Amino acid sequence: MEYQEIDNWEKVSELKKLLDLSTKPKHLYYIGNLDPQIFKHCAAIVGSRKMTSYGQTVVEKMAPRLISQNITIVSGFMYGVDQYAHRVCVESGGKTIAVFGWGINTKLTGNDLKLAKDIIASGGLLLSEWEEQKASHWTFPVRNRIVAALSDAVYVVEAALHSGSLITARLALKLKKELFAVPGPITSRTSFGTNKLIADGKAKVWLGQDAINILQSVIDDPMLQILDNEALSADELALKLNVPISKIGAKLSMFLLSGQLNEKGGKYYINYVS
Amino acid sequence: MLVKIPSIANIGLETVPIDVEVDVASAGFPGFTIVGLASKAVEEARERVKTAIINSKLDFPGRKITVNLAPADLPKDGAAYDLPIAIGVLLASGQLHLPKEFNLSKSFFYGELSLDGTLRPTRGILLLGLFAQKIRASSIFVPAQSAYEASVVKDIAVVGLNSLSELILHLSGAKVINPLTHSKAKKKLDSEHGEFDLSEIAGQEQAKRALIIAASGGHNLLMWGPPGTGKTMLSRSLPGILPPLTLEESLEVTRIYSVSGLMSSDQPLISKRPFRSPHHGISTAGMVGGGSNPLPGEVSLAHLGVLFLDEMPEFQRGLIESLRQPMEDGTVEIVRVLGHVKYPASFTLIAAINPCPCGYLGHPKKECKCSEKQIIKYKQRISGPILDRVDLFVQVGVVETEKLSVTSQNKAYRLSSKEAREKVISARKLQKQRFKYEKRNIYTNSQMKNSDVKKYANLEKEAENLLKLASDKFDFSARSYFRLIKVARTIADLEDSSSIKPLHMAEALQYKQMI
Repeated sequence: MEYQEIDNWEKVSELKKLLDLSTKPKHLYYIGNLDPQIFKHCAAIVGSRKMTSYGQTVVEKMAPRLISQNITIVSGFMYGVDQYAHRVCVESGGKTIAVFGWGINTKLTGNDLKLAKDIIASGGLLLSEWEEQKASHWTFPVRNRIVAALSDAVYVVEAALHSGSLITARLALKLKKELFAVPGPITSRTSFGTNKLIADGKAKVWLGQDAINILQSVIDDPMLQILDNEALSADELALKLNVPISKIGAKLSMFLLSGQLNEKGGKYYINYVS
Repeated sequence: MLVKIPSIANIGLETVPIDVEVDVASAGFPGFTIVGLASKAVEEARERVKTAIINSKLDFPGRKITVNLAPADLPKDGAAYDLPIAIGVLLASGQLHLPKEFNLSKSFFYGELSLDGTLRPTRGILLLGLFAQKIRASSIFVPAQSAYEASVVKDIAVVGLNSLSELILHLSGAKVINPLTHSKAKKKLDSEHGEFDLSEIAGQEQAKRALIIAASGGHNLLMWGPPGTGKTMLSRSLPGILPPLTLEESLEVTRIYSVSGLMSSDQPLISKRPFRSPHHGISTAGMVGGGSNPLPGEVSLAHLGVLFLDEMPEFQRGLIESLRQPMEDGTVEIVRVLGHVKYPASFTLIAAINPCPCGYLGHPKKECKCSEKQIIKYKQRISGPILDRVDLFVQVGVVETEKLSVTSQNKAYRLSSKEAREKVISARKLQKQRFKYEKRNIYTNSQMKNSDVKKYANLEKEAENLLKLASDKFDFSARSYFRLIKVARTIADLEDSSSIKPLHMAEALQYKQMI
C-alpha cells in the first residue's frame, strides 16, 4: 500500500494537540485519504489483546454511540479489543484511525491486511511515526502516547493489571484527557486493570446505556425477563422455565430474528441497542 | 491321481468360487508346487500342510505333488486353503476314502492348519456360509472356533472341526461330528443399548435433542465445545437411540466384520449398531480401507452405525477429505494391486470439535492459553467440504456443577434412551412412507437432494418466510438453506406433523452452521 508523510504536521491545526507531548513524533506517515477534519474529534477505544465476549459486547455498544456523535475512533490496531473497535467502527459506517506500533512500510497479511483495507475504504487512516521500524516491545508503549494525545477521551474496555492499555490511560491523565473505564466482573483477569482505575478514582465509570433507557425497553415475555437479569444458554433457560428444549429453541430463534436477542458463544443477551 | 475340491476367494465382500486341484503324480521327482497366483501365505501352505499331515499320524506322499488354484489369473490370499489342499493330498494319495453318498462338489473345506494338525480360527466364514447357501451346497467344513459365524445361515450343515484328524474320522464315518444347530441366529435383535442412557446425562438438553434429530433423519452432527462437557458421552449414547438393526442389516454388518476377522466367538451376528471412534493418529488406509488385499476401514466398520471423530481438526487433512466419497455415496472404492474392491460405508458422522487448541476459549472459569493466530489456524483446519455435509451444529456448553443439582430435581424432561428411540422409530416410519415411490434407495430426510426437498418438504408459507428472514439476517448459502429445510422436515416428523410449521423451522435454525 502507498504511504505518504504529512508535510509539516506541526502546522496542521487539527494536529496541534500532539504538540503537548514531551517527546513529539519527528514524522507522521499515513496510508489513506488525508482529510485533517478526521483529527478534529477523536476518542480512543483501547483494551486487552485477550478480549472476552464481554469486551466484545461492550465494544459493539460503545463504538456505534461514539460514531453517531461524529467522533473518530482511534486505536492501536492490535488484535483483541483494538482491532475489534476498528472493525465495529468500519461496519457501522464510522471513521477510524489505526496507529501502528511499527513502521508504516511494514507488509500486513491475512486478517490484518483485510481490516487495514476496510479502514481505508471507509475513509479512515493508518498512521505511524516511523517509516521503517520493526515491531518491538518498546514500540507499542511509544505508539500509545500518540493514541492518547490524538483523543479527547480515552475509553479502556478491558485491561489486565499490567496491560499496555493502562499505559495509554496514564498518558491520557497526564495529558488531561477524559478517561473512562468499563467496569467488569471482579473475577475476570481482563477487568482487574479497568476496575482498579475506577477504584483508585482515576477513571470515570462508563455505564453504557443511560439507566432510563434500559428501564423503558418493553419486556413482557418470561424468557426475556430472565435474560434481562443474566445471559443464559438455551439449556439453562429450559431448566429455569421448565419448558422442553425444542420449544425454547424455537422461541430463541424467533427473538433472534426479531432483533430482541443477541447470541454470543452460546449465551443469549437482551439486545438493548435496537 | 487328480482331485478337484471347490473353495472360495473373498474379494472385498464378494465371494468367487475357485477350484483347488491337487495332483499326486505316479512318476516324477518328489516335490510340492502350488500355482495359480498364490500369495506368500498360500505358498507357505506347503510347509504347513506337509507337517500337519505327518503330525496327524498320516503319510505324506513322497511323490510329485502339484496344486493349482483355478482360475489361475485371480490372485489368492490367506491361509484358508490349507485345509482343502490337505484333503486333496490325502484323497489323491489314496489315504482317504469318501463314502459313496458324499458329494465332494457340494462341500467346502476352508481353514488354516497349524503344524500339529489342529485348525486355527479363520476370517470370512460367514461369507463362505452365505455363498454355500446361494449355490445350494450341502455342507461346509470349517475351524470350530470360527464356525459360529456361519451358524446363522439356513439350510447348510456347518461342521466345526478342531483338527485334521477329526475331519478324517468324520469323513470315514468312524466318529461323526454333528453340524452346528441353526437356532442361535434367532436371538432378539432389538434388546441392545448404547453405552450410556440419555437419562444419565445431566444437562445438555439441546445436544440431546440434536442427537434425537440426527438419529431420526440420519443427519450428520457436529458438536462444538470445551473438553469435559460430555461430547464423547453424548455421542456414545447415540447407538442406544438409533432404531434396531433389521436381520438383513445385521447380516450386512456381520459380513464386513467377518471379512475383517473382528467377530467375537460369543455372538454369531452383530446385533448392535456399530459405533466406531478411531483415534486421530489413524492412517488413510485404516480409515477408508486398504492393504495390498484391501480390508475394510473404519468407514465400512461403521456401516449402518455411527462414525465418531473426536477432536476432528486433529485428524490429518487428507484423511478427512477422503471421507467425502463415502459420505456422498454410502460406499467406498479401494483400488490396489490385487484388485478393485467396493465396501459399503453408509454411516452417520458425529464430529466433536474444541473451540481452540487448548480447548478453553469462552470457558466461564478457565483461561484460554492460545494465541489469536493459533485459534484461526485451528479453525481453518476444519474441512469446508465436510462441514457442507453436516446438517446439525450444536454447541455443548460447560455444565456448571451448582446447576447439576437443579437438573436432577427437574425430572420432568429427562428423556430415557428407550423413549427417545420410540420417537426415532416412528419418525423413521414416516420417512419410509414418504420415499416409498422414490426409485433411488432413500430412507431418511438427510438423503434428500434439493429436488426432493422441493417435492417432499411441504413447507408452510409462514415457515418459508421465516427461513427467508433468517437467511437475510445470518447470510446463509444456498446449501445451508436446503440443509435447514431438511432438518426442519425431521423435526416436523418427530412432532408427527405432515407440514413444516414455523415453529419447526425456528427450532431448526438453532442448529445452523456456526463455524
